[in-house]
Amino acid sequence: MSLALQIVLIAVSFFVLLFVLKKIRRSQLYIDDAIYWIVSAFLLLILSIFPQIAIFASELLEIQSPANFVFLFMIFMVLIKLFNLAIELSVQKHRINRLVQKLALMKDEEDHPKD
Amino acid sequence: MAKQLLIVIPAYNEAENIECVVDNLIENYPQYDYVIINDGSRDKTIEICRRKGYRYIDLPINVGLTDGVQTGMMYAYEHGYEYALQFDGDGQHDPSYIAAMLEAMETCDICVGSRFVDQKKPKGLRMLGSNIIQATLRLTTGKKIKDPTSGMRMFNRATMKAMAENADYGPEPDTLAHLMRSGAVVKEVQVEMSERMAGESYLNFSRSIRYMTHMCFSIVFIQWCRKKVALKGGIKK
Repeated sequence: MSLALQIVLIAVSFFVLLFVLKKIRRSQLYIDDAIYWIVSAFLLLILSIFPQIAIFASELLEIQSPANFVFLFMIFMVLIKLFNLAIELSVQKHRINRLVQKLALMKDEEDHPKD
Repeated sequence: MAKQLLIVIPAYNEAENIECVVDNLIENYPQYDYVIINDGSRDKTIEICRRKGYRYIDLPINVGLTDGVQTGMMYAYEHGYEYALQFDGDGQHDPSYIAAMLEAMETCDICVGSRFVDQKKPKGLRMLGSNIIQATLRLTTGKKIKDPTSGMRMFNRATMKAMAENADYGPEPDTLAHLMRSGAVVKEVQVEMSERMAGESYLNFSRSIRYMTHMCFSIVFIQWCRKKVALKGGIKK
């Protein structure tokens, strides 16, 4: 892993951390949801400060360059997050539609009380 | 007296057709109750319902056909109806066949108003999709449903409850497959269907292809891993 990549990764992790903390301060992000970003920023930071981890893992998995291991790791993290977001989106859709249904049925009940 | 049948008419931008469909029901079939589910239409559907004094439920935003029909099922179940009929708001379905479907409900949980019980299925690209869905249904449930894509379906209280309470029970062949695998008895009754009276059909060529692949994937890969639903008080096999 080159020094340049290391510096970029460290910078990115710091940037992510700062950005997430700012969003929490402004209440634009729930703490629960922020934890993922903080943890992954830390993991990235550790990976970039200690390139030995990536070197070891890439040898173990027979990946040509340690940088590729870093990318693979990040892709997996993103995929997991993406899938979780898809689930959350489905849940939100379901909740909104349930609310709309209840609202409409309640309105109808008001206009036409059951006999 | 227990209320017998509720006709659930999902309507999304059906201003051109809804009047004709509902007036026909009111004038010629006053023995059946109906309710229009206005699914956040952006045209004059709701104004027409108000002006004509129709019975309607107004969903403030568009929730899609699945949850729209579900709203009707919730309503029918809560109001104690014995049967609920899913009925198109675009004039494709003919209410004169309802009586025969009601009769069939004595011996089944779901009755499908089918175009191809006595009549042969015409050949053509459109029917190819129907045939493929029929084949996947047969593969997964072992039952032959000759018109799986028919949108005219009648449910008894057991299946109505399942439709009302569970998420993602779309009024489509995949739900039919799921309910059949849960033990629902499905029968078909011969009906005639007409082309829609006005407006463009939702299903153009590319949408049809998407619909078909979606259904086949859902029936073959998704429905089998779904938890079977308990159908209390349904028809015993």
